[in-house]
Amino acid sequence: MALGLLRPDSGTATFGGRPYASLPDPLRLVGAVLETAFHPARSGRNHLRVYCRAAGLPVRRADEVLVQVGLGDAGRRRAGGYSLGMRQRLALATALLGDPAVLVLDEPANGLDPEGIQWLRGFLRHLAHEEGRTVLVSSHLLAEVEQTADRVVIVGAGRLVREGSIAQLRAGADGAGTVLVRSPEAARLAGLLAADGRTVGREGDDGLTVTGLSTAEVGRQAFAAGVELHELRSRTSGLEEIYFRLTAGQEQFAAAPAGTAPAAPREMAR
Amino acid sequence: MTRLVRAEWTKLLTTRVWIGLLLGACLLAGGFAALITGLAGRPDGPPAVGTPQYEQLALSNASNAVALALILGVIGMTQEYRHRTATPTFLTTPRRGRVVTAKLVAYALAGVPFALVVVAVTAVVVVLYAGARGAAPSLTGDNLQVMADAGLAIVLYAVIGVGLGALLRNQVGAIVGALVYLYVVEPLLSAFQATAGVYKWLPGGALEAMTATFRGPGAAAPDLLERWQGALVLLGYGLVAALLGTLFAVRRDVV
Repeated sequence: MALGLLRPDSGTATFGGRPYASLPDPLRLVGAVLETAFHPARSGRNHLRVYCRAAGLPVRRADEVLVQVGLGDAGRRRAGGYSLGMRQRLALATALLGDPAVLVLDEPANGLDPEGIQWLRGFLRHLAHEEGRTVLVSSHLLAEVEQTADRVVIVGAGRLVREGSIAQLRAGADGAGTVLVRSPEAARLAGLLAADGRTVGREGDDGLTVTGLSTAEVGRQAFAAGVELHELRSRTSGLEEIYFRLTAGQEQFAAAPAGTAPAAPREMAR
Repeated sequence: MTRLVRAEWTKLLTTRVWIGLLLGACLLAGGFAALITGLAGRPDGPPAVGTPQYEQLALSNASNAVALALILGVIGMTQEYRHRTATPTFLTTPRRGRVVTAKLVAYALAGVPFALVVVAVTAVVVVLYAGARGAAPSLTGDNLQVMADAGLAIVLYAVIGVGLGALLRNQVGAIVGALVYLYVVEPLLSAFQATAGVYKWLPGGALEAMTATFRGPGAAAPDLLERWQGALVLLGYGLVAALLGTLFAVRRDVV
């Protein structure tokens, strides 16, 4: 909808203040990866050259972006013979043709092998942080989003559920600021901390959850009292956990979850 | 617009569809030209080699290629939907009417060398074969007119193909529908008394107006338009289909 492919029931989306369809040179401002669509008989390089021509870009851009996404050697082969990961890279190359300030990527990690995913993570970070581009990623892979995104927008059933940095979302979630401790002397430690006025919960035989103290303070108190510790960490919620909590009880979300995660909006990256 | 037209040519030339269609067109045109030359002068066969009727009939076989030019145009438009490249195409050119216009221009211009090759192959077959049978036709005067009309018809059918593709979007449906229409529906319409008057306004009738030379002894000459009118009617079909396609089909959501 933002890119003018679907007609929204209401509302508008703009890039630099203008709707996509009225941008004079859309590829130079916005690059999009929506689905991996190629003519199977056309080589990846020729596919890119088509859009160079249509957008008035020099055709050498085709070779440049192929190298950028790691397809330098496969460019002359028919796109129909590409693996899923190679198709994803070619789609990304298409989006990069016009050297756009904004990238819109739909499930960019789809079909990538573990190395490809790691490469993509680094590549997107590079585009956002070093090159100062806005990278908007929509994805259902919440663990992946958590690792790459600076800001997260959670959309459920077409409605905005929550927006903010991952840290903000965590701070608003249950269990924020809780420290988990494991110790063979859990009971003694619990007594010490409770005497200090802290809220202490038990977790299993040897575990405690402490609210209102940092890991450093819990560690210092335990050390001072000579209590042996086996584990000491702050408890953070994963994005998935946060997501399910935010959308809990709303049955329609169960079937249609969608997380969108913008990494480093342009002004933030500068 | 120039860059969009060039992009369409790049699309066309970076797959091999055009080679197959061009070969098929040459075979169809040259093959029937050879068949007619071989049968020329037999009892109940085409007119004898050396007569103007034979020469125009044999050379007009170049227009057999219109079906393949039509398919070329249909594929040129519908491949965007078939292979889902409509998404990057419309992202690059959000004003979709410009894409359709560029395709119309690109395929009209690409149709020119396509037509030239088919007409040339037909002429070579006729000149060599008829020459071997005693009288090679000259490629001037009425004969040249026949060749030019056949070539123009090929170009116009490529344009109609683009328009039809824009209207129907479904590649297989558009090709099958077009062929069934051209080779089943129209011959029937032209045969019935009640519809014969309409036939001259239909794509097949307009084509016949441009390319018909000789129907065989005893056949009633159908009521046809002038050549130039036939060409305009064909162009009109292509442009109207493209316009309707742009307004009602191409603007629909792409998912």
